[in-house]
Amino acid sequence: MAARLLVRASQQLLAGAGVGAGAGAGTGRVTFKTAPRQVKKRWLRAYLEQERLKAPPQRRSEKPNWDYHAEIQAFSHRLHENFNLDLLKSAFVNSCYIESEEARRRELGLDKETIALNLQDNSKLAEEGMTFSRSYLMQCFEGAYPELPAEGIGALVDFLTSQELVSYVAQNLSIQDLTLCKEFPAPPDVLQRTFFAVIGALLGSSGPEKTGIFVRDFFIPQLIGKDLFEIWQVVNPMGLLVEELTKRNISSPEPRITRQLGVSTVLPVYFVGLYCNKKIIAEGPGETLLAAEEEAARVALRKLYGYTENRRPWDYSKPKQGLAAEKAISSS
Amino acid sequence: MTSRGSPSRFLTSVLHNGVGRYVRQLQRLQLLFSPTAADARGARQFVEEVALDFARQHPDVVLYVRPCSNPTPVLVAEYLNGTVREELITSKTSEEILQLATKLAGQSGLDIIRIRKPFHTDNPSIQGQWHPLTNKPSILTVRGPRLQAQ
Repeated sequence: MAARLLVRASQQLLAGAGVGAGAGAGTGRVTFKTAPRQVKKRWLRAYLEQERLKAPPQRRSEKPNWDYHAEIQAFSHRLHENFNLDLLKSAFVNSCYIESEEARRRELGLDKETIALNLQDNSKLAEEGMTFSRSYLMQCFEGAYPELPAEGIGALVDFLTSQELVSYVAQNLSIQDLTLCKEFPAPPDVLQRTFFAVIGALLGSSGPEKTGIFVRDFFIPQLIGKDLFEIWQVVNPMGLLVEELTKRNISSPEPRITRQLGVSTVLPVYFVGLYCNKKIIAEGPGETLLAAEEEAARVALRKLYGYTENRRPWDYSKPKQGLAAEKAISSS
Repeated sequence: MTSRGSPSRFLTSVLHNGVGRYVRQLQRLQLLFSPTAADARGARQFVEEVALDFARQHPDVVLYVRPCSNPTPVLVAEYLNGTVREELITSKTSEEILQLATKLAGQSGLDIIRIRKPFHTDNPSIQGQWHPLTNKPSILTVRGPRLQAQ
């Protein structure tokens, strides 16, 4: 540090001498110029920073230090999966990218042979991944919540494979950097398609068992902290409850006010209990009697379907198929 | 700064990481250093001795090593959620740089600010929020003559 200060001081001295003595100190300055130290003025640094902040966002692949192959390899290691790298690479190619790239080459005036990219887009892989993950999730929920009707399971699956949620998951796995797409930033439908194509590529390289675990690990945690009726919009829960109870041969519920408070104020609260055969099945609060009855019906439905807040958490442990096979062998 | 004025957040993780499987959140590590400067000596030693082992131990992190005329040696970490963190490694030894890189590899990329509570739950209360009727009997409960207050 001290040495650098000395050099700078001597430069200033020499500069001063240069102004004062004209060409006399010329030789001395030349020797220092061989190793110049880049000193940006404070105003210049501020201006450059300002310009940097103003610049439009760039794709990560346009910035320095980008090795596509290494990134793809690291992606597959990050997810702890053994991808077939060719399949994985084609999963990141969108059809809009191929079109735009070919158009760009045509504008540059290349001949027809070099224009063709010979890339496969990910639409087929995405289709495969989408159908697989939907059927797998459907199967999972049917196993975990046997009481839940098909509509409810459909709502859960639709929620988990919706564009909003899948693109959110894809963004947090940094798929928007890897995907080849015309637009920037990548729109949510492209992200959704790419993520399903990645699932399709995994299905092609590791088989359905590992892909099922992958789908489970990345989709089902998104249900944490979500309520059933937040996902499944039921307009008339009381009607649904009556239907469910008649299916189970239980008499229709009888709503009664169990507690109430502040009825004459602007903030009353009612508690409505639903009784079947003089036994309480659910109790729910509400600001009006109707809202309280609806809430009680929802509580009763949650209990019937086994989707209460205090349900057992999802089992994420590895399926013990090896153990089951061993047992089957030893017992026979 | 008081605790109320300083920025804070709750304990979270990206995508409920670790519930299903653990995904390392560091995706890219760039090491920029000068090939000649004295304060980048540790960085050069890191590149020569440790960098390969580090890359082998962390196959899920892409490590870029770039000698350039950057005046200060720096370690740039990019996380999956888009956070970019620059750590100066001026006049640090290669062990210190390795320690720093390992620390960066274990972080989640969320802001490093005060965490309000050291725990998190989605169901803050088992019996529900308190309201004026908590632990009060229902008005429908029939009370016998013995139970009435005298």
